[in-house]
Amino acid sequence: MSALVLMSIVLFALMTYVGKWQGVRAFIAFFLNFGALIVLLFFLVNPDVPIILVTALLVVVVGVINLFFINGVHEKTKIAFASTLLTALLIFGWITWLNEMGSIQGFGEEEMDELTIFSLLVGLDFVKIGAAVIVMSTIGAIMDVAISIVTALYELAKYDRAITRRELFASGIRIGRDILGTDTNTLFFAFFGGYLALLLWFKDLSYTFGEMINSKVFSAEMVTIFSAGMAIALVIPITTILTVWRVKKSDLSS
Amino acid sequence: MKKWIIASIFLVVASLSLAFTWNNATYYDKPIVKVQEVTVVEEETIVDSYRNEDHLVTQQIVGEWQNGKKKGKQVEWTHIASRSGAADFLLKERMHVFMERHQGEWMAVQVKRDHVVVLAMFGFIGFLLLVGGKQGMFSLISFGVNVLLLYGAIHLYVQTNNVSLIALAIMLAICFVVVSLVSVSGLSPKTYVAIVTSLVATFVSLGVVLLIFAWTNERGLNYEEMQFLSRPYRTVFIAGLIIGSLGAVMDVAMTMASTLFELAEQPNATLARLKGAGEEVGRDIMGTITSILFFAYMSGSVPVMLLYVMNDVPLNYTFSMNLSLEFARALAGSIGIVLAIPISLHMTLRYLTRKKVIT
Repeated sequence: MSALVLMSIVLFALMTYVGKWQGVRAFIAFFLNFGALIVLLFFLVNPDVPIILVTALLVVVVGVINLFFINGVHEKTKIAFASTLLTALLIFGWITWLNEMGSIQGFGEEEMDELTIFSLLVGLDFVKIGAAVIVMSTIGAIMDVAISIVTALYELAKYDRAITRRELFASGIRIGRDILGTDTNTLFFAFFGGYLALLLWFKDLSYTFGEMINSKVFSAEMVTIFSAGMAIALVIPITTILTVWRVKKSDLSS
Repeated sequence: MKKWIIASIFLVVASLSLAFTWNNATYYDKPIVKVQEVTVVEEETIVDSYRNEDHLVTQQIVGEWQNGKKKGKQVEWTHIASRSGAADFLLKERMHVFMERHQGEWMAVQVKRDHVVVLAMFGFIGFLLLVGGKQGMFSLISFGVNVLLLYGAIHLYVQTNNVSLIALAIMLAICFVVVSLVSVSGLSPKTYVAIVTSLVATFVSLGVVLLIFAWTNERGLNYEEMQFLSRPYRTVFIAGLIIGSLGAVMDVAMTMASTLFELAEQPNATLARLKGAGEEVGRDIMGTITSILFFAYMSGSVPVMLLYVMNDVPLNYTFSMNLSLEFARALAGSIGIVLAIPISLHMTLRYLTRKKVIT
C-alpha cells in the first residue's frame, strides 16, 4: 500500500474518533481542498483569463468548502467570506508590485537543472502567478482569522445589545490580536519546514549573505513569509470593520 | 505617548534600511548597474512545440555603473528576455542588476533584490505592530529569535558534520515551542502545560508517521521531486516534517489549554463538564487548522505544475511528481493536529485535577 493512502486512512480514523461527525466533515473538506488546487491550475493554464479573477475565484471555491460547507450559509459566513476576498485582493496587489520591482517570478537558476527538458516559453504571466500562489498558501489562515472574529463579535453583540460601535471595534481588534500570534506561527513553521533543504543548500554551497538575499529562490520565499504574515494582520481590521458595520445596521433596522 | 515613540523608531529604521539597500552597491564585489533607459527594439512572437505562444523582447539598455572602478560611467548593452519571465527577466528603468562579462560583452545576469526583501519585511513588521500592538511586537520578537535559532542550528550542522540532523531538529523543535508559546502567553502554568502537550503530540505523531513509512516502505513518496539537495534527502525530509507541523500543533495545544483553564475558574466547573467542553472545542478547530496547513504546503508547487501541464505532461504524472511529498507533509501535520486534541485534553485535565483546581 502507498504511504499516502495509509496516512489518509489513519487520518480518517483519527478524525472520526476524535471529532465524530464533524471529524468526517473535516476529512472530506481536506480532500475537497484538492478541488481548489485543480481549479487554480485549470484556469491558470489559460493565458487569456486575468489572474486576479482566478485568485478571486479561488477564494470563492475555498470559501464554499471551508466556510459554507463547514459552517453553513448565513450572515456570519458571508461577512467572513467578503473580508477574506478583500484581504486576498489587497495582498495580491502588494505582492504583484513587489514581484515586478524585483522580478521575483518563475524559477531561480538553482531550480533550472531539472527543468531543462521543458519549454519555458509558455506565455504565462509568472509575476501574477507568483502572487496568486502566495495568496493561496495563506488563504486558509486568512479565512480562519476572519471567521473567528465574526463569530466572537456576533456573540458579543447578542449578549450586550447596548454595546457601542467603538467598543465592538475594540473587541474585534483584541480578539484578532489573540489569534494573530498563533496563526502566523502555524504558517511560519510550515514554511520553515519546507525551506530546510534550501537553507542547507545555501550553507553547503557557501553562498555569501549577499548572494543569498539577491537570489530569486530565497527572495521569493522571504516575500512569501512576510506577505503571509501581513495578510493575517490585515484581515483583522477588515473583518472587524465589516462586522461592526453589518451588526449595527441590522440593529437599527430591527 | 509610548506608541508614538515606537512608531517613529519604526519609521526611522525602515527608511534608513531602505535607503541603505538602495545605495549599497559599493559593498558588493560583483559589478552592479542601475538601468536608466530602456528601449524596446524588437518584439518577436514565438510558438513552442506545444503551441504555446510567447513573446521574445529585445531591449536596448543604457545604464550607469554603481560600483568598482567604472563607477558613474555609462554602459550600453542589448538584453533579450521573454514576456512570461519563467526563467529570465525583462529590464525596467531604475532596476539594479548584477553584470557579468560573456565573450567580451557585458550582460545583466541577475536582478538586485535586497531592497525588495527589506521592503516586504518592513511592510510585515509595520502591519504587525499597527494591528497587533504589544502582542504583535511579542510575535515579532519570537519570530526573530526563532529565525536566529534556525540559522544557528544550520550553521552548527554544516560546520561540525557529526551532529545528526534529526537530533538537531528535535532540539530545535523544543526551543521553537518554548520561545513561541512563552511569547504568546507569558510564563504561566497554562504555558507550561501547552509546551509539554505540543512536544508530546509532535513526537507521538512523528512516531506514527515513521511507523507508517516503515510499514509501507515509503511507497508513493517521490523523493526525486525534492529540490536543493546537498544532504541525504530522507533525513532532510523528516527533519522538515518535525519542524513543519509545530506551529499547527502549538495552535491546538494553546487553544485547548486556554479554554480549559478559563472554564476551570468558573464556580460550577466539574471534570465531566470540562471534558465535554474540551472535546467540543477540539472538534471545532480541527477542520480549520488542517486546512491552513494544507494550503501552506500544497500551493508552492503550482508554478512547476503549470510548466508540466503547458508541456503536455499528463495530469496524474504531474501530480505524483510534484505533490507526493507536499501531500505527505500535509497529512503528517494533520495527524499531529488531530492527535494533539486528546493529548492536550488529557494532560490539561490531569494538571488541573492534580493542582486541585477541579475535582
